[in-house]
Amino acid sequence: MSVLFPKWTNVLPTVFAVGALGGAVAAIGGFWYYATPKFWRVGYMPTQPGGGFNHQLHVGKLGMDCRYCHTKVEKSYEANIPNVSTCYGCHSDGKLSKLTEDPVHKEKTEFIRTAYAQDASIPWRRVHKVPDYVHNFPHHVHINAGISCYSCHGRIDTMPVVFHAESLSMSWCLDCHRAPEDKVIPKDKITNLAWVQNELKERKAGKAMSVEAQQVLDALQKAPPENCGACHY
Amino acid sequence: MTSIHPDQVTAERLAGLSRGATPPPVLDPRTGDGTLIDTPGVRAPLVLNNRGFGEITDIVCGYVENKPPRWWLPAFLAAFGLAQLGGILILYLVITGIGTWGLTNQVDWAWDITNFVFWIGIGHAGTLISAILCLLKQKWRTAVNRAAEAMTIFAVICAATFPGIHIGRQWMAWFLPPIPNANAIWPNFKSPLLWDVFAVSTYGTVSALFWFMGMVPDFATLRDRADRRLRRSAEGPILLPFVPIRTDKIRAFVYGFLALGWRMSSRHWHRYEAAYLILAGISTPLVLSVHSIVSFDFATSILPGWHTTIFPPYFVAGAIFGGFAMVLLLLIPFRELYANMKDLITLRHIENMAKILLTTGMMVGFAYSMEFFIAWYGGNKFELYAFQNRAFGPYWWAYWTMISCNVISPQLFWSKKLRTNVVVVWIVALFVTIGMWFERFVIIVTSLHRAFLPGEYHMFHPTLVDIGIFAGSFGVFLTLYLLFMRFLPAFPIAEIKAVLPQASPHSHGDHGHDHSGHDHKH
Repeated sequence: MSVLFPKWTNVLPTVFAVGALGGAVAAIGGFWYYATPKFWRVGYMPTQPGGGFNHQLHVGKLGMDCRYCHTKVEKSYEANIPNVSTCYGCHSDGKLSKLTEDPVHKEKTEFIRTAYAQDASIPWRRVHKVPDYVHNFPHHVHINAGISCYSCHGRIDTMPVVFHAESLSMSWCLDCHRAPEDKVIPKDKITNLAWVQNELKERKAGKAMSVEAQQVLDALQKAPPENCGACHY
Repeated sequence: MTSIHPDQVTAERLAGLSRGATPPPVLDPRTGDGTLIDTPGVRAPLVLNNRGFGEITDIVCGYVENKPPRWWLPAFLAAFGLAQLGGILILYLVITGIGTWGLTNQVDWAWDITNFVFWIGIGHAGTLISAILCLLKQKWRTAVNRAAEAMTIFAVICAATFPGIHIGRQWMAWFLPPIPNANAIWPNFKSPLLWDVFAVSTYGTVSALFWFMGMVPDFATLRDRADRRLRRSAEGPILLPFVPIRTDKIRAFVYGFLALGWRMSSRHWHRYEAAYLILAGISTPLVLSVHSIVSFDFATSILPGWHTTIFPPYFVAGAIFGGFAMVLLLLIPFRELYANMKDLITLRHIENMAKILLTTGMMVGFAYSMEFFIAWYGGNKFELYAFQNRAFGPYWWAYWTMISCNVISPQLFWSKKLRTNVVVVWIVALFVTIGMWFERFVIIVTSLHRAFLPGEYHMFHPTLVDIGIFAGSFGVFLTLYLLFMRFLPAFPIAEIKAVLPQASPHSHGDHGHDHSGHDHKH
């Protein structure tokens, strides 16, 4: 038989066993890491039209509230994208004359005035999008239940170009729906992203909920739903 | 009448008489081929024609090593073509959707689940033969266990296809087993459909292990025979014209790889026997559990016609019934078509399996009548309607086909003459196979097609895709079976040798009543 299979083939079963084990671990680990939304959604950062919109500058430095532009987020399913006139309200020729005279800034914001003059829309590219079988993601319900913008979108006020900060996977949704006490904050702090980040971090480390946050949680009419029909109907 | 018992022939040969010295035995015609002896003191031979150890090896290895019979290639091509048809229709189904089947809102399970239960049931004969009959020391199993185990594996493959394709979005089939996922949801552990996934996959795994482990010594024999031919002569059949690789070279390597270094040492045999017993022990509960769990798919629902506690034993009996019918359906033609196979699969084997058909056929007949009795005795008018509708509603023809095939046709086997006539046995086995398919169709479709409101009365009409995929599953089954008969050892060589008279110390005349072998020595 040694003619058929030379002696070194005796190591083959071990090699196969170790290889199969390693292959299985690699396949499972690979799937775990690469094939979930944590990998292929987080970090998505599309290039925006024109000069883009620098959230770091407008929100972080200038202190604009999220709701100045996303006006309907407390009343609507969608956190609306502002129309051109909202941008033009500040970036018109007449206003902020000091800035518009700055040639770099003038050039960067020119697309707003062009679109406004042509009565056209700016084709902003959507960053956060739940799959089409998630029929129901109401922004207003979440905002009114004391969930900060930060919990889903991260520190937008530090992003020169907005990117996908969280996975938006179903397990990620359920993590919060099953333990809302980790995320609920007083409603007046909803858009104060830096504060919320710090608060949630401390809460994770063991700090108790503030009385105000507890009041918001207690005031919820019902626990966050976990049934299929809540989102997929 | 001077009839000579075949044991006597063997004994004479062992006593040193050369072959041919004895005239061919004159058998009592009532014993068929000599195996249908009813004398209590005489054991019927399990192998005919006085075969020796070497001859058994030559016969079994010959099916693999010799040129296949002339019908093999056309039969294989026909089966393979049918399998391709099924494959193409499955592709069409995946691309287009399950609307290509005749399913409606009312009848949302039909041929798909019928075929699944049909095939999964067929496998049960293999497990029963290899596990339960092994533990019960039924020696006649040695001739049929390998073929029946192969049938089990191939039937499980056919069965597993149907739940996989009936889910609609086939690319989500990975949702069937509980795998941690980014959706943080699990299959419903309270659902028998999940238990089914475990039952069928356990069944497939254990059966495949059992089958493969049993073949290891035979792979080693095939390897050694090929190797010996290679050493003895430089000439031999080559793989293909213009390809100067000898077939035996490939055999030696492929069977050598599959033999996993088996050297026929007694230590190997010792461990083999222990492993065989352990696997038989593991498989034994599977004979009962798999089809019980399949029956839970129906029994745990609240649908009249499905919601009955008799389902698990009824399904298990039906599975063994259908499985043995399929074993007979396959082995009777192979026994006729392959040389020397009648020496290994005797009329007694056929008769034993026919008796099992008769027994299990009456078990399912009892279950059919008990369902009706309970429907009446239980006083639930919806359940009573479901059963009346089964027997006398629009699907009466399916119901009575089932009754005729499954309950009436095996009754022929009360007659010894009929149950030892291979043509009759084959035809009854065919009827039983048809009847068992109709049983599942009747259970599934007649229970679903009429719900509680007349607006929910619908008929099921199969489409060509339904029919083609079912036919294709037979193509897959037969393709695999023909490949098995051509390339794998179809009989467990060592186990057959162990049931030869030569292997038993009894035939050396240790007992006074042994009338032949001992006497000749004096």
